[in-house]
Amino acid sequence: MNGTQQTITHSLDMNEQTLRDYFTKTPDLIYCHIWIGEPKKRALLVYLNTLVDKNSINNNIIDPLLFETKQIETIIDIQLPIGSKSYTTKWEHVIQHVFQGETALLLDGDNRVLLLDTQGWPQRAIAEPQIESSLKGSHQGFIETCEKNIALIRRYLPHQQLKIEETTVGRRGHTPVSILYLEDVAHPEVVQELKDRIEQIDVDTIVNTGELMQLIEDNPFSPFPQFLLTERPDAAVSNLLQGRIVIVVDRSPSVMIGPMTFITFFQTVDDYSTRWMIASFLRLLRLLAFFMAIFLPSAYIAALSFHYEIIPLNLLLTVGESRERVPLPPILEAILMELAIEMLREAGLRLPAPIGQTVGIVGGVVIGQAAVEAGIVSNIMVVIVSLTAIASFIIPNPDMSESIRLLRFPMMIAASLFGLVGMVIGFMVIIGHLISLESLGTPAGSPFAPARLRDWKDTVLRFPLWMMRTRPLSARPIQLTRQKKFRK
Amino acid sequence: MKRYQFNEITTMQYIFLISGIQIGIGILSLPAQLADIANTDGWIAIVIGWGISIIASMLIIKTMEKHKQDTIFDLSRRYFGRIFGSLLHLAFVAYALLASMTVVFTAIHVIQTWVLPNTPNYLLMMLFMLPGFLIARNGVRVLGRYAEFVFYLTLWMPVLIAIPLQKGSVLHMLPILKEGWAPIFQAVKTTVLSFLGFELAFVFYPFLKEKKHAIKAMIIANSISAFTFLLITVTCFIFFSPDETPSLVWPTLSLLKTIEFSFIERFEVIFLSFYLFVMSTTGIPYIFTTVFGISQLFKKQDHTIVLVIAVCVFIVVSFLYNPSFSHIQTMGSWWERYGLWGAYVFPTCLFIYVSVVRWFRGGKKK
Repeated sequence: MNGTQQTITHSLDMNEQTLRDYFTKTPDLIYCHIWIGEPKKRALLVYLNTLVDKNSINNNIIDPLLFETKQIETIIDIQLPIGSKSYTTKWEHVIQHVFQGETALLLDGDNRVLLLDTQGWPQRAIAEPQIESSLKGSHQGFIETCEKNIALIRRYLPHQQLKIEETTVGRRGHTPVSILYLEDVAHPEVVQELKDRIEQIDVDTIVNTGELMQLIEDNPFSPFPQFLLTERPDAAVSNLLQGRIVIVVDRSPSVMIGPMTFITFFQTVDDYSTRWMIASFLRLLRLLAFFMAIFLPSAYIAALSFHYEIIPLNLLLTVGESRERVPLPPILEAILMELAIEMLREAGLRLPAPIGQTVGIVGGVVIGQAAVEAGIVSNIMVVIVSLTAIASFIIPNPDMSESIRLLRFPMMIAASLFGLVGMVIGFMVIIGHLISLESLGTPAGSPFAPARLRDWKDTVLRFPLWMMRTRPLSARPIQLTRQKKFRK
Repeated sequence: MKRYQFNEITTMQYIFLISGIQIGIGILSLPAQLADIANTDGWIAIVIGWGISIIASMLIIKTMEKHKQDTIFDLSRRYFGRIFGSLLHLAFVAYALLASMTVVFTAIHVIQTWVLPNTPNYLLMMLFMLPGFLIARNGVRVLGRYAEFVFYLTLWMPVLIAIPLQKGSVLHMLPILKEGWAPIFQAVKTTVLSFLGFELAFVFYPFLKEKKHAIKAMIIANSISAFTFLLITVTCFIFFSPDETPSLVWPTLSLLKTIEFSFIERFEVIFLSFYLFVMSTTGIPYIFTTVFGISQLFKKQDHTIVLVIAVCVFIVVSFLYNPSFSHIQTMGSWWERYGLWGAYVFPTCLFIYVSVVRWFRGGKKK
C-alpha cells in the first residue's frame, strides 16, 4: 500500500514505477505509452483491460491523442470525445477509478492525472423480470448496472424533484449505492435515517441488495421482511410516488424500497392497472391466502387432535374413513407432508428447467397418489397441503411468502400441543410482533395499528383511482395531497 | 417537557385501550350475576352503572389534568410526600397485580373448563405469558396499537352473539320493573364493578397525545363497554327463561353453544379460543401497570427486567397453586372490593384533596 501514500510526481517514469509497484500480478492492467501533442510529449494511458470499453479507448482517446497536432491542453479540452473527464492529484483516487473501469492519462512533467470515463463491463440486456412477472406493467426489469436501473426509473419520473444521493458501501467492494427519493414528498427524517444507517455499515463488501437489506433493517430477529425488494421499475416508481425511498445497489438486479408496511407486501403494481373491483378481489384473495398458508394445516391438526367435537358427524366420518389406515398422528402426518412439499419446491428451484419438470412430476405422483394408496397419509391431508402450498404461491412478494412458509411450522407445533388455544396464542404473538415492528422508524402495522383510516383506501381493498387523492400516511410523506381532482 | 413523547397514543387507541380493559372476564358471567339479583331488570342496572363509571372516570381525568405529564405514581409522590406517596404507589401496584392475577387465572380456568380439560395450568400459563411478555415489553404505544387491532379483529363477535336473539322471546323482559327499584340498585354494585378498568386512566392519561379529547374518549370508551354489556345481557335474558339464567355459571358461553352450522358444531370452543384476544386486552394492560409501577418505584426507565421477573413469578405461582373455581371467585371478589375503593372512592377523594391542596398553594402564591 506504499503507492497510495506517495504523492504523484512530475516524473512519468517514477509515477509508472509507483503504479507497477502497487499493481503487482495484475495482468489485465494495460500501460500504453504514446507520444502526443505538439511539441511531442510522453504520455501514459493506464486502464484495466477487463473493465473498459476498448472501442471507446481506441476511437475516443488514442485516436485523437495520436493524430491531433495541437497543444496538449487543447487536445484534452477540445478533441477528446469523452463525457466525463476530471483531474486528480491523489493516487487513491487514481486507483479507485481505474478499478471502476476508468482510464488514467499521465503526462510527463505534470503531477495531475486525468481520469477519463471509459467504463464498459459485461452486462446483460434489459429483460423481463424473472421473479416478478408482470401482467400489465412494463416488461423491462432491472439489471446489474446501477446507471441503467436509474435510467429505467428516470424514464417514468422526468422531474427535477427526483433526487439521487450516491454513496459507497464496503471497504473492499466499494459498492456504489444510490438513494432515490422525491424531495418534495419523502420525509427528510426518514431519508436521513436511511442515510445514517447506510453510512454506519462497515463490512468487506456487499454482494447483493439482500445483504444491504439485512444490514440496515430495524429488527433482525423478525421473520418478516422490512424492506421490499423488487425487479420492476414500475413498482419502484409507484413506491417513490407514495413517498418511499428507493435504494439502487450496483451489481444487483433488485432494488430495495422502504419504509414498508406489512400490508404493502400483499400488493403489486398490477393492482393499479386492473379495474378496481377485480384488484380488490385479488387483494382479498391474497389476504385469505395469507391466513390459509399460516393456519390451515394447524387448524386441521387442532381439530383432529383436540376439538373433534366441532366437526359435524358426517364430516367427521369422512375424515375418519380417510384416516383409517394412517398410522401417524395428525401432527406427524402434517409435518411429513409439509416438509416433503418444501423439499419439492426447493429442489425445483435450483435445478435446471428440464430436470425441474421431472421433479415436479415425480413429486406430484409420489406425494399425491402413491402416499395415499400406501396408507402413509390421508387424502384430506394431501388436499390441505396442496391448498396451503397454492396459498403461499399467491402472495406476490417472495420474501413475505417465505416468511409465511416458515411461520407455518411453529403454528403446527402450537396446534398439536394446545389445539385452537395454541393457534390463537400464536396469532396473538404474530400480531404482537407485527405491531411493534418498524421499518425505518415507521410502524409496520400501519394503517391498521396505529389506525389511519385515510390509508384504508389502498390496503385490503383498492378503491377506484379517482378516490386516491392522498399519499399513504404510513410512508410519512411531507406532501400528502397527490392530486386534487382527476380532470382539468 | 414531555416525558413520554416517543410513547404517545392516539385518541382512538386510548378509547380502545380503556374499553378493552373493561371488556374482559366479567362479561362471561355478568348476565347470571345480574339475573340473580335483579331478575330480567338487570339491564337497567347496567345503564346506571354506566353513568356512575363515566362520572368516576371524569373525576380521574379532572385530577390528572392538573399535571399533564404525571402518572398516578408521580402524582402520589407529588401530593403525599415520599413515604405516603410510596405507600399509595405500592397500593396501586398491588391492585394491578391482583387484577392481572385474577384475569390470568380466570382465563386459564375458563380454557381448562371449556376447551382443554387435560392441559395442566402451568403449561397454559407459559403459553399465555408468551404474547403477554412480547406486548407488555414494548410500552404503552404498542399496548394502544394492540388494543386497537384487537378491537377490529373482534368486531364479528357481538354480531355472532346476536344470532340467538332471533330464537328468543322478548316477553321474558316484561314486565319492566317487576320487582321495583330496590333489587336494581342492589345490582348496580355488580355492574359498577364490571366497568372496572377505566381506573387505569391514572396510568395511561399522560401518554395520550391530544389531552383535550380525554373526557370525550373516556365517555366513548365507557359507552362501548356499556353497549357490549347490554347486548350480551339482554340477549341472555331474551334467549334463556328468567329462571334459567341465574343457574348458569357462564351464561354467555352457554348462549353460543346453541349456534351450529352445517360444517361446524360446538361453536363456543372456537369463540372461546378467540375470546382470549379480548381477555388479553384486559390482562396485558394490568400486567404492564404492575411492572411499570414497580420499575418506577426503583426509578428504572426500562421495565424489561421487572417484566421478566414478573413473568417468572406468574409461571412459578401457577406451578405451585392451581386455583379451584371457588378460589377464582374469591380472587374476583377481592379484586372487586379493592376496585370499588380504587376506582370509585379513591378518585373522588383524590380529586377533592388535590383541588383543596392546589387551592391552598395557589392562595399562598397570591
